[in-house]
Amino acid sequence: MAALCKVVSGVGSRIRLPSSRLLGSTSSGSSGRDRPAAERPKSGFAAALDLQSELQRNAEDSRFPPGQAETFASMLRRSPLIQMGPAKDRIVFGTIFHVVQDDLYIDFGGKFHCVCRRPVKGETLRRGSRVRLRLQDLELTARFLGASSDTTLLEAKAALLAPLEGSHGRESQG
Amino acid sequence: MATRTLTKGLLGLRQSRTLFVGQSCGGLHFSTAASVEVSPPQADSISEEVLKKPDFFHLSELFSLKDLFNARVHLGHKKGCRHRFMEPYLYGCRLDQDIIDLDQTMEHLQLALNVTAHVAYRGGVILFISRRRQFGHLVEATAKSCGEYAHTRYWQGGILTNANIQYGPDVRLPDLIVFLSTLNNVFQQHVAIRDAAKLAIPTVGVVDSNCNPNLITYPIPGNDDTPAAVELYCDLFKATIIRAKDKRKQLELVHRPSTPSAKRS
Repeated sequence: MAALCKVVSGVGSRIRLPSSRLLGSTSSGSSGRDRPAAERPKSGFAAALDLQSELQRNAEDSRFPPGQAETFASMLRRSPLIQMGPAKDRIVFGTIFHVVQDDLYIDFGGKFHCVCRRPVKGETLRRGSRVRLRLQDLELTARFLGASSDTTLLEAKAALLAPLEGSHGRESQG
Repeated sequence: MATRTLTKGLLGLRQSRTLFVGQSCGGLHFSTAASVEVSPPQADSISEEVLKKPDFFHLSELFSLKDLFNARVHLGHKKGCRHRFMEPYLYGCRLDQDIIDLDQTMEHLQLALNVTAHVAYRGGVILFISRRRQFGHLVEATAKSCGEYAHTRYWQGGILTNANIQYGPDVRLPDLIVFLSTLNNVFQQHVAIRDAAKLAIPTVGVVDSNCNPNLITYPIPGNDDTPAAVELYCDLFKATIIRAKDKRKQLELVHRPSTPSAKRS
């Protein structure tokens, strides 16, 4: 309980636990309460938390100097789409945003959505469900004979995977 | 109140005096009531005050680079679908997918929203067009909520060019056409782009990497396929138009408290 009181005061919480007075150890008793919370030396979890948050803040500040917004180039470079690399056989999470009987329209953060057939044990899947996908292609395009530009289907291709918590589900082709 | 109207009248007389200087007789100047109304100062301030600042409606605070990025506006089609005239607007191509340069998009979006705001401020008719069936309802709802018009169905050939015969004489055509997607359902350029150019109607359009930006007056290079991006555009246009109309009402109340505003029927 004494450690808990120190953590609460270290994080800068304004709520004073009334029980701390009763349950506080004798070492952090009256002498501790006389000094303000900021001057008390922190140890343990509180000290570690302060150190880590300061390091993180310094890292953020050095990356983006104050007054200068992040550039498009750096946003693009750090985006998950670019960091992912080629989309073939990558596992991503998607959300179902539309259902038409057995067809599930899933948005995984790319330009297009993918359409997957409902798996055999997929009665629980509905709008808003989070699913796992194995991507095949971000956009289904092909250049047909005699055409000047590619024909696009305005869809991505992915295979629906079994949910993580269930055991050995069946895969359904997209 | 009486002194204000008196000074307004005197100012009007002073202006008309300079115009009718040749017709003075014996130092007396006559002016009819009509000439006083020709250019009252308060009408100038309503229509000319907005043109003095580059961003009168503060539209740059409506969107940021981060908002565009999170709405996936920078994602284009595959390399094979690229239109030759979109190459200046592209940042590059990553694993065969074109990436649109959002720095250019920011500038173009600012220009386009500014034009939309000014047209709405002056009581112009704005028409939203999109043939994407996925976003048809969204576009119609956006147009309805800001008091403007939308056309998201099959475009009959003479809607603009044959309007006087199809809709009757003296029909008012739109003053600005906003395309949320410039392609029709068979991936050809929408007929309204060519017709608007024929009739000298300015157009604002979101052009993806497979679209032709040539005939569009204010193109906005950006994604037109993802729901997040289209919702962002709709929200931005709606906010712009509502802001411009509110500003108009506000300035009319300030400058012309007694006369009713000339609203379009």
